[in-house]
Amino acid sequence: MPDNNGNPIAIHELALAYGNHRVLDGLSLTVPASSITALLGGNGAGKSTTLSALLGFVRADAGQIAVCGIDPGTDADAARRRIAYLPENVALYEHLSAVENADYLLALADQRQDRGTITAALAAAGLQNRAWDQRLGGFSKGMRQKVAIAVALLREVPVLLLDEPTSGLDPRATADFNALLLKVRDRGTAVLMVTHDLLSAADVADRIAFLEQGRIVEDVTATGSERFDIRALHARFQVGVGTRAA
Amino acid sequence: MSATHLIARDELRLMARNRVAVIALVLLVLLTLAAVLSSWSHQRGIAELRMRHQQVAAAAFKAQPDRHPHRMVHYGTFIYRPLGALAAFDPGVDAFTGNSMFLEGHRQNSANFGDVRQSSLLVRFGQLTPAFVLQVVAPLLLIFLGFGVLAGETERGTLRLLMLQGVSRGQLVRGKLAALGIVALIVGLPAMVGFVAVVAQPGTLALPMAAIGLGYALYLALWVVLILLASGFARRGRDALLALLAIWTVAVVLVPRIAPDIAGAAVPLQNRLQTDVAIARDLRQLGDSHNPDDPHLAAFKQSVLQRYGVTRVEDLPVNYKGLLAMEGERLTSGLFDRYAGASFAAQTAQNRLVDAIGVLSPTIAIRALSMAAADTDFAGHRRFLEQAETYRYALVQRLNRMEAKNVSYADDIAEDAGADRRKRIAADNWQHMPDFAFIAPSASALAAAALPGISILGLWLAVATLLLTRVTRLLGARQ
Repeated sequence: MPDNNGNPIAIHELALAYGNHRVLDGLSLTVPASSITALLGGNGAGKSTTLSALLGFVRADAGQIAVCGIDPGTDADAARRRIAYLPENVALYEHLSAVENADYLLALADQRQDRGTITAALAAAGLQNRAWDQRLGGFSKGMRQKVAIAVALLREVPVLLLDEPTSGLDPRATADFNALLLKVRDRGTAVLMVTHDLLSAADVADRIAFLEQGRIVEDVTATGSERFDIRALHARFQVGVGTRAA
Repeated sequence: MSATHLIARDELRLMARNRVAVIALVLLVLLTLAAVLSSWSHQRGIAELRMRHQQVAAAAFKAQPDRHPHRMVHYGTFIYRPLGALAAFDPGVDAFTGNSMFLEGHRQNSANFGDVRQSSLLVRFGQLTPAFVLQVVAPLLLIFLGFGVLAGETERGTLRLLMLQGVSRGQLVRGKLAALGIVALIVGLPAMVGFVAVVAQPGTLALPMAAIGLGYALYLALWVVLILLASGFARRGRDALLALLAIWTVAVVLVPRIAPDIAGAAVPLQNRLQTDVAIARDLRQLGDSHNPDDPHLAAFKQSVLQRYGVTRVEDLPVNYKGLLAMEGERLTSGLFDRYAGASFAAQTAQNRLVDAIGVLSPTIAIRALSMAAADTDFAGHRRFLEQAETYRYALVQRLNRMEAKNVSYADDIAEDAGADRRKRIAADNWQHMPDFAFIAPSASALAAAALPGISILGLWLAVATLLLTRVTRLLGARQ
């Protein structure tokens, strides 16, 4: 059993390669309960691979990884039962309505909720009530995103993983989503989000980690009422992306 | 409710909300019901027709006036193969082999030398029977409904979504298997219920009916597993559909069509004309049993005279012409039996070869199983021919014996004005002739005949299930 020191997410010296291409190179990261960590990095920095490793879809070559003390590489099903995940490209069932999608997925996770709770979550995610019982076939990307957010929020699990969660949302919906995320954090959930959206991350995260070439190169924690120095972060992020691109 | 149940229920919900799938399913059920009804009506019509013709033929034979017995040998009679109740489900080769025979002396008529194996599945596309619907159409519908059950999840990205809810690969595959299995049940049940209702005598035919039911259950279950296998292996639904259509074309259409051709090429069978020419040639060597002085039958004549201790046929206590007719019938029947035996042996060898090829095609296995249990296969046809020949030989020899005992030799060869009258025997002799009664095989024998097919399908299902467990383990790993 990996040593997680009570942190729902604990990654230590993780290394992973696809063939000869090293994607994660000694990545270490912990996400305590009741906190939001944003993982920023350029394309190919290893952000999505980190999430895939936490979800048990890829196995590390070296190092340790634990979700609530469970190694997803050896017991992916058990680890996934403790994770809610919001992917960048939301995949849901088009033959089902928003409520039916939520009902089905929650039932599969053995966390069935009544219709009132589901519709409340859909409303909280910003989905208008006339869309609740419509099949997803005619939904826009943003609307699907909201359904997926509602499902993720309804999963009462200790870990929430988000992959570019605000990419399909308008500014108003983004602000609503961030407010929701804070509520989720406050109920004790450890949130790890990977994103390109520095401003959104700075707005909601307790901590921002910069990932470059498969390892954390800088780790900034929010302090005081100012939280983050956006200008410094922006400069750092640009350098990181630029270095990576070069 | 377990994850497996939830997945099965959702898959069925998806199909129920797919208008094309619902229409296709309803059409297939209607097609099956139409097949059951038309097959039942056809079978009943044929059975009644044959029974009526049989009664007319028997009545015509028995209504003959006083006649010379050998005139009755040539007058002959017709017999018809009674159609079993299970033929309503699968008429098998009945339509292609002939089912009536004209019985007369010196000849074996009708379909004794027919090319039974010409009646391949492709030819049978014209016949709408419950067996045809289940063998050919039902797998096609299952393919169209099921090709995307796993590939669709992979393609849409919902496979990961399911796994993220803690659904294991095994639960996912079992759920999809259950959903498609229920669809297969909906597809197969009308045919089976109609079958039982139409046969309406499950007590006597329970065993072969159970064998047919088990066979088709295995056949459809095999298709369900094959569909899951292809759908789980393919990354896109389109690839799974193409692969499954290719498998269907090869297994259901090509192999059953090619197998008889391969068997025909490997074990040549003489056609009717060749056989008739060869028999006519051999018959000339046997001599003419109508002629008491035929040189080919001189040895027989000598043996008869010796047996009775006389020197002339006129001194025999029985009519020599009657004895000669019996000997002639014995010789010609022996000759015909030899040719029929060779033809049967060749056809049996062809059938064995087709059955061996059947290991490669579950459709050949289910077809053989279905026809064997319904007694409409080549073995059933042969059984009719053999019983008909036994009856014919006994009938002719009985008439010949009447000639030997009841007509004097002197009258038989006389040509004076009153001779024709003196050669005749009383009409009540024909009236007491036994009727032809086809003895159908027992229910247990029919069920036993289906066992090889059941074994082959069971083996197919076991191998396919084994492969599915392997594909299940790899599900989602190649994304």
